[in-house]
Amino acid sequence: MEDTKPKVIIIDDEKGLRIGTQRLLQSENFDVDTAENGLTGIQMAKDIDYDLAIIDLKMPDIDGISVLKEIKKARPNTVCFIATAYASYDTAIEATKLGAFTYIPKPFTPEELLRNLNAGYERRLLILESERLKREREERLLELAFEKSRLNTIVNSLADGVFVVNKDGELVLFNPAAIKFIELNDIILGERILGILPPKISELIEKILGNPAFENKTLSAEVELKPDRGLVVEIKCSPVPHPDGSLAGVVAVLSNITETKKIEYVKSQFVSMVAHELKTPMAAVLGFLNIILNPELKTTAEQQADYLNRSRNRLQGLVEMVNDLLDISRMEMKTKQRELKELNIGEIVKGTVDFLELELKKKGITVTSKYQENLPVFKADNNEVTRLFTNIIGNAIKYNKDNGTIDVEVYTNKNYIVTRIADTGIGMKPEDKAKLFSEFFRVKNEYTRSISGTGLGLSIVKRIAESYSGRIEVESEYTKGSTFTIYLPFTK
Amino acid sequence: MSDTTKTPKKILLVDDDYDLLEQNRMLLESKGYTVVTADSVESAWKTFKEEKPDAAVLDLIMEEHDSGFILAHKIKRDAYGKTIPVFLLTSATMVTGMKFGVTTGEEKEWINCDAWFNKPINIDELSTKLEECFETRSM
Repeated sequence: MEDTKPKVIIIDDEKGLRIGTQRLLQSENFDVDTAENGLTGIQMAKDIDYDLAIIDLKMPDIDGISVLKEIKKARPNTVCFIATAYASYDTAIEATKLGAFTYIPKPFTPEELLRNLNAGYERRLLILESERLKREREERLLELAFEKSRLNTIVNSLADGVFVVNKDGELVLFNPAAIKFIELNDIILGERILGILPPKISELIEKILGNPAFENKTLSAEVELKPDRGLVVEIKCSPVPHPDGSLAGVVAVLSNITETKKIEYVKSQFVSMVAHELKTPMAAVLGFLNIILNPELKTTAEQQADYLNRSRNRLQGLVEMVNDLLDISRMEMKTKQRELKELNIGEIVKGTVDFLELELKKKGITVTSKYQENLPVFKADNNEVTRLFTNIIGNAIKYNKDNGTIDVEVYTNKNYIVTRIADTGIGMKPEDKAKLFSEFFRVKNEYTRSISGTGLGLSIVKRIAESYSGRIEVESEYTKGSTFTIYLPFTK
Repeated sequence: MSDTTKTPKKILLVDDDYDLLEQNRMLLESKGYTVVTADSVESAWKTFKEEKPDAAVLDLIMEEHDSGFILAHKIKRDAYGKTIPVFLLTSATMVTGMKFGVTTGEEKEWINCDAWFNKPINIDELSTKLEECFETRSM
């Protein structure tokens, strides 16, 4: 403002006065326009926001009071002066009533004029400043309102539940997620909620409210809101301080941790199962050794050899199980390095049958096989696919009858390379079939008694097949045999 | 331990692990007991009804994680079964650190057995406990 020149308009029909005043004011660093009659003056003052206007009271076209009215209507902040030689007390009062800053009697001396204009200009600056402040305040209020609604929107959009209670335990803020979690649909602001919240949540809040001094400490707990891990939330309660440092209330944040809890549960189930499966063979070995070493039992050399043999088998099984577990763990963590190659399933199956020749001979099992010619390739890790078929064909041998047969067929169907492996073994009851692919599940009956296994082989097969978007199907008839069909999608 | 002049006590031993079944049979027999065995809840129940054993020693985890519990409950609800001692065997303690027992009122209420033993069993402890139970019952 200081650098800009005050903008003045002189509206006067008397040319000499117009020019004279203009020159005087320009020399005093005013920016001056002139109008030779009332209507032109009104128009100019409407177009430009003048700081000051000097209006002659008596003009031939329209009188100064009317000009003043019009200018004030359009530009209420322009500081207006009424100038006239025909002054009267009444006119002065009327002009001031209509918004003129003051009245300048003609003729005026330069000092008189400048003194008035300077005072008027000061008023003009004050008006502009207060206008600016008013505008700013309005903008800030708007911003505040916007900020508040934005904050509300954010809080309401949170997946986490949030609610705040004051120190009397009354609800002062909540979002929809909080209501969903604690299922308090008809709750309203201002309601005392400590009695109706789940007890564990109330407890935490009361603990904080019970301490009248503000202490920056967050309390948290896990709460099962629906039984059997139906809905588990973690609640965190933090004190909210007053500006004066005292305790104002408590803010509670509820996060849904159901999935994490479910995974934790499955994990702990698995761990306890692994523990049991590892402990049993160890107990068996330990038991055999205790018997051999116990002089009171007087075991024969033959018995001792048998027990040592069986102990070795159990330990061998334990080693296999640990290896299988490590494989599963690598598959789970996806740390297993896969080397994807274009594989011919027919060749892999044939290779696996050859590899197991010794076991086949031991039981006198005959293998008949049929491989479709020009099989499409399957892009996968050779080790994994070989492992898959070794487990399936290995089972077909292990669970077969002596001098039984295994039929192997590899062919395509739609987008899949299908491998069908049918044995004439002990088969399965429907209830056993249902659990076949669960970890550590082993069919227990008079036939399987002497067959060792980890209970992990088929679970590994399933994991491998599914990791390549494949699947495995089983048909089985108890005492007659089982057929495993593996579907692997081929690479087009 | 058992008095050889009397008819030896008959123990029903149930475990789905054949090695452990055989070991424990041998250990019990070495203490003068007659042993009848079973390898599942189903066959154990059948054997129990047929043989009317003087005591039952059951593995906890067989087909299911609570097979032993189920069988123990079944035996303890039976008119004859409720008169005999029932022991449970577990290998869980060593690995998980879980403690099993039938000392508190709550445990006695829902664990229907007279004692717990860890696998592999200490036959001296087990037979001492068995004799203790037989004695209490004969009084």
